[in-house]
Amino acid sequence: MYDMGMAQSVAAEAAGKVSARGVQVFYGTTHALRDVDIDIADRAVTAFIGPSGCGKSTFLRCLNRMNDTIPGCRVLGDIRLDGEDIHDPRVDPVQLRARVGMVFQKPNPFPKSIYDNVAYGPRIHGLARSRADMDVVVEKSLRRAALWNDVRDRLHDAGTGLSGGQQQRLCIARAIATSPEVLLMDEPCSALDPIATAQIEELIHELADQFSVVIVTHSMQQASRVSQHTAFFHLGELVEYGDTETVFTNPVDPRTENYITGRIG
Amino acid sequence: MDRRQHIVTAFDRDLETIEALLARMGGLVEAAVVDAIRALETRDEDLAEAVRRGDKAIDALEEQIDIETARLIALRAPTASDLRYVLATMKIAAALERCGDYAKNLARRSTVLAQMPAIDGASGSIRRMGDAVRLQMKNALDAFIQRDLELAEQVRLGDHDVDQMYNTLFREFLTHMMEDPRNITACMHLHFIAKNIERMGDHITGIAEQVIYLITGNLPDDERPKADHTALAAGDHTQEGAWQSP
Ligand SMILES: Nc1ncnc2c1ncn2[C@@H]1O[C@H](COP(=O)(O)OP(=O)(O)O)[C@@H](O)[C@H]1O
Ligand SMILES: [Mg+2]
Repeated sequence: MYDMGMAQSVAAEAAGKVSARGVQVFYGTTHALRDVDIDIADRAVTAFIGPSGCGKSTFLRCLNRMNDTIPGCRVLGDIRLDGEDIHDPRVDPVQLRARVGMVFQKPNPFPKSIYDNVAYGPRIHGLARSRADMDVVVEKSLRRAALWNDVRDRLHDAGTGLSGGQQQRLCIARAIATSPEVLLMDEPCSALDPIATAQIEELIHELADQFSVVIVTHSMQQASRVSQHTAFFHLGELVEYGDTETVFTNPVDPRTENYITGRIG
Repeated sequence: MDRRQHIVTAFDRDLETIEALLARMGGLVEAAVVDAIRALETRDEDLAEAVRRGDKAIDALEEQIDIETARLIALRAPTASDLRYVLATMKIAAALERCGDYAKNLARRSTVLAQMPAIDGASGSIRRMGDAVRLQMKNALDAFIQRDLELAEQVRLGDHDVDQMYNTLFREFLTHMMEDPRNITACMHLHFIAKNIERMGDHITGIAEQVIYLITGNLPDDERPKADHTALAAGDHTQEGAWQSP
């Protein structure tokens, strides 16, 4: 049977939700990333692992042009979201960041109410026409972030009054409130205890039904638990990229093997 | 394969502990096979008894390896070649434990056979088969210790010869039984012994395959040439399990 729709979706999948070709990043004269080629899958979790300073955060920031905001930072190469060049002059970086959301290492809620934290993005992007509309967006985002039941009775309390794990889920709710297509998470659990970490991991699992999730993590266990694809970076290079299962049972490159088995490389 | 040190040196010590246990277990099983076959050939009932009693030590080592590997998985969450190492070790220990059981079974039958008239040429043929299997076992364990892929492949293919020896013995025993029905009891015991040795060969092949997995990350997938045709020779009802009971 010939199915045009199928053929197209297969082609889209092959190219990835996000595809990067020949990405180089410089901070002044520091060459932080060298020639990165990668296709990131839609509706799946991709983990970036590697020693500190290898360029994971730098590459993550390329994907929503956050590096544009860093003085002296220069990004070369081609990055496409659904085949569209994100560096095209017609692309508004603020709009891009609504489509490619980001969650940081330290939970960083705004010093505002829980409600306003979540409503912030939809408000600046004009995604809700009325107060009632906004209530729906806020509730939906908090539910998706598995926080609704914890905060439904105190939506107007300060976001900063929540526990660490709740704050991080609030930041996730804030990031997904604009209905992004890609969610970037830079070590989202490194400030959390194991229970809060497990809750975030469970959440990542569920979010991957709707989004392409990219997570930077220093925990090999976390990478292997939550992701379907793993990319290993080393000294600014993408050394190995493949199925998480393969990378963790039978990596190809000795540098990957040494890193994930905790050997002196 | 990379055998560089871990940053956490206790990890290396744990792996060394497991490797030492497995090496000791391999040594005991090899010795049990040699002694059991010698006990059969020389009708040495004391030696047979020693083999039977020695099996407890082998079982205990397997259990200890299980405990140590489970602990390592729980505490160190091994990945990549470390993970393959732990999995391979558990399976190799299980295969060795089975070989130990076969040696014990062989020793038990040799005690029974010692009370019966000898069958011409039988214990010599069994010894040759036993020697072949013991060499296979030694090579499989060496391949593991030295991470020697070529040797492991050689062991895997070498099982063919053991199967051939078993086929030959099977016919030999049939002939003896047909010539003189008074030989039947002894020949049945001898046949079970040969079958036990043939099964050891299969477990040793399994060990070699684990070594291949450990080194390459892949189990060999092409079907190994199998040369045990006795099931056809003796009719369909001779399921493997039926030949197994002591
Ligand atoms: N804002 C910055 N200014 C200058 N150099 C930076 C900046 N951010 C990162 N770098 C450098 O780029 C390299 C990669 O850093 P980063 O992407 O943060 O690595 P990772 O997230 O893998 O730890 C490092 O050498 C780091 O010092
Ligand atoms: Mg970083």
